Amino acid sequence: MGVSSVQPATVQPSADHSLLKVEDLRTWFPVRRGFFSRVRDYVRAVDGVSFRIASGCTLGLVGESGCGKTTVGRTILRLIPATGGRVWFDGRDVFALGRSELRALRRQMQIIFQDPVGSLNPRMTVETIVGEALTVHGIARGRARRERVAELLERVGLSPSHMTRYPHEFSGGQRQRIGIARALALNPRLIVCDEPVSALDVSIQSQILNLLADLQDEMHLSYLFIAHNLAVVEHFSDDVAVMYLGRIVETATAREIYANPRHPYTQALLSAAPEPDPGRRRARVVLPGEVPSPIAPPPGCHFHPRCPLAVDTCRREAPALRQVTGAPPGHLAACHRAEELRPHLIEELLAVQTPSGLPR
Amino acid sequence: MSSEQTSPRSGAGGVAGAGPPSAAPVVGHGTAADGDVVLQVKDLRTWFYMEEGIAKAVDGVSWGLPRGKTLALVGESGCGKSVTALSIMRLVPDPPGRIVGGQVLLEGRDLLALAEAQMRRIRGNRIAMIFQEPMTSLNPVFTVGNQIVEAIELHQNIRGRAAWRLAVEMLQRVGIPAPAQRVHEYPHQLSGGMRQRVMIAMALSCHPDVLIADEPTTALDVTIQAQILDLLRKLQAETGMSILLITHDLGVVAEIADEVCVMYASRIVERAGVHELFGNPRHPYTRGLFRSMPRLAAHKDRLEVIPGSVPNPLHFPSGCKFHPRCALAPGCERCRSEDPPLVEHGPGHWVACWKADQASCR
Repeated sequence: MGVSSVQPATVQPSADHSLLKVEDLRTWFPVRRGFFSRVRDYVRAVDGVSFRIASGCTLGLVGESGCGKTTVGRTILRLIPATGGRVWFDGRDVFALGRSELRALRRQMQIIFQDPVGSLNPRMTVETIVGEALTVHGIARGRARRERVAELLERVGLSPSHMTRYPHEFSGGQRQRIGIARALALNPRLIVCDEPVSALDVSIQSQILNLLADLQDEMHLSYLFIAHNLAVVEHFSDDVAVMYLGRIVETATAREIYANPRHPYTQALLSAAPEPDPGRRRARVVLPGEVPSPIAPPPGCHFHPRCPLAVDTCRREAPALRQVTGAPPGHLAACHRAEELRPHLIEELLAVQTPSGLPR
Repeated sequence: MSSEQTSPRSGAGGVAGAGPPSAAPVVGHGTAADGDVVLQVKDLRTWFYMEEGIAKAVDGVSWGLPRGKTLALVGESGCGKSVTALSIMRLVPDPPGRIVGGQVLLEGRDLLALAEAQMRRIRGNRIAMIFQEPMTSLNPVFTVGNQIVEAIELHQNIRGRAAWRLAVEMLQRVGIPAPAQRVHEYPHQLSGGMRQRVMIAMALSCHPDVLIADEPTTALDVTIQAQILDLLRKLQAETGMSILLITHDLGVVAEIADEVCVMYASRIVERAGVHELFGNPRHPYTRGLFRSMPRLAAHKDRLEVIPGSVPNPLHFPSGCKFHPRCALAPGCERCRSEDPPLVEHGPGHWVACWKADQASCR
């Protein structure tokens, strides 16, 4: 099914300096139903996603549950087979790699998971968890491995004496540090961070975010930072891509997308995010309806059933992700009416006066 | 504003209230002494007796929930906010948990002194509760309608078709489209946001005086979270119910709370009205929380951090439980040895910190 068998592993003659380049990525999951469990449908979890990440930079991938952001991360790492599209890592076609090449590449691409409990084997000591990859890849064993693990633990703010302990002896924040140490063990160049702080307490989140930022500076890491928290993504990312129902609907630099969002969904998301400021408790956007099923997405623009700006064209034609006229270069939006969208337009159109009555 | 008035307000057959012996006169618990308080918690202590020792999950917590208002208990995991809610409902798992002291006064009547049968008439009826994950609180093998009707029949003198009509009406009120069809669906057929709406419909079907909402939007997406917060506000305006909101999310607090109690390590460390608390946080922990949060359009390179992590209730530090993480504590003998009481530092603004006066605005 995948493209992996078709293309030889060519080195792409790339002009840009992207470390990671994703082109028209598609990941569909078959839905089997009925007699003989025939494939009746596909869940189009990722349906034509393209982006690139420059070396040492962070792309924030943001969206609500079910939008496909996690699937993007895992497909890139080939943890899930792709249905179509290409991924280039440092000029190499990731989907065309054979087993041994893939293994070599995996040293350079790592992942940090959301759940620091479920992603650490409870029967392994910290030394084994962090050092396992060193053994698997034949890099270090015995004393050399212990020394390397000690170094990694210190790097993430733990003590080398923690090596002999088990995951349950640590707090959530410390467990996430163990997960980060594990990801760093092989000196990767790209780390997919899948909701790395969502399960952590507020006071611990900032510790982990600062740690990830320090590591990026020191080791020149690139991050694909997947999260649903807009404030966290804005703080942490150079560029941001907003996903809705398997597609990227808007992308720009972090500052630009938050200052001047050009897709109605982005505007609604930003307005809906609760801000810790009761003085700005305002007529907020309450976006009607819910995310439709990715098995039968609406025709035309996926967002049109919830969009207050939808016109006939939106119901018929899926908008392409394109440069917004008048916006800085690189600000792309998939909306037929992106040029008409001034800041806060959606907020004004959807504003619901709070019944409890402003001002309080 | 002395908070140690022991007199229950209404004569709803309260248990002869030997109130807790008064502490120092000015040093109070930050309870609202004036106004119409529907639910009041006084010096609540809920401890868990574990093999490793006693975990004092809630240890001397007091507050009052004004009628028709929203009080938020905010804090990080393990601070005791959920155990406070379970204690009010008398749903603390026993063993190992036990409410070892204090009072929970619903319009003056101490719920902790009621017999279990009496408590059952309060629970779900006068005080209803919704939880973070609606799927685990709904029964997967019954339709949504069955479950709402069960609640209605259990608590109200309404039966059969009338109860079903009321169930449909409730679903409509919480904004579920096509309620007459949805009432026959099973929980798995509904989305997360719809399930939370069903929970709210069920909770409100008996017109409770108090709704306890334990992280009601934490499991939901941002746009759905906005819908649910909006719904809670709307229903509160319509019914006049009081809401006890339990959350870790200061954004949610800012959106719907009137009063806020910040909890840390089993105690309330700060209490104030929402505008006062967000505009002028006084406790170093509260201020640390605000500073460590990434904010939209803030463009800061580094986040400030609160060093260390939340202490284990089995091994609380001595003195002020926040002192090992506090920037003001080094060199302060009192912070290390004496637990600061909650003291009023401004009208309605209570802080449990020896150095609250030094703590400048954020």
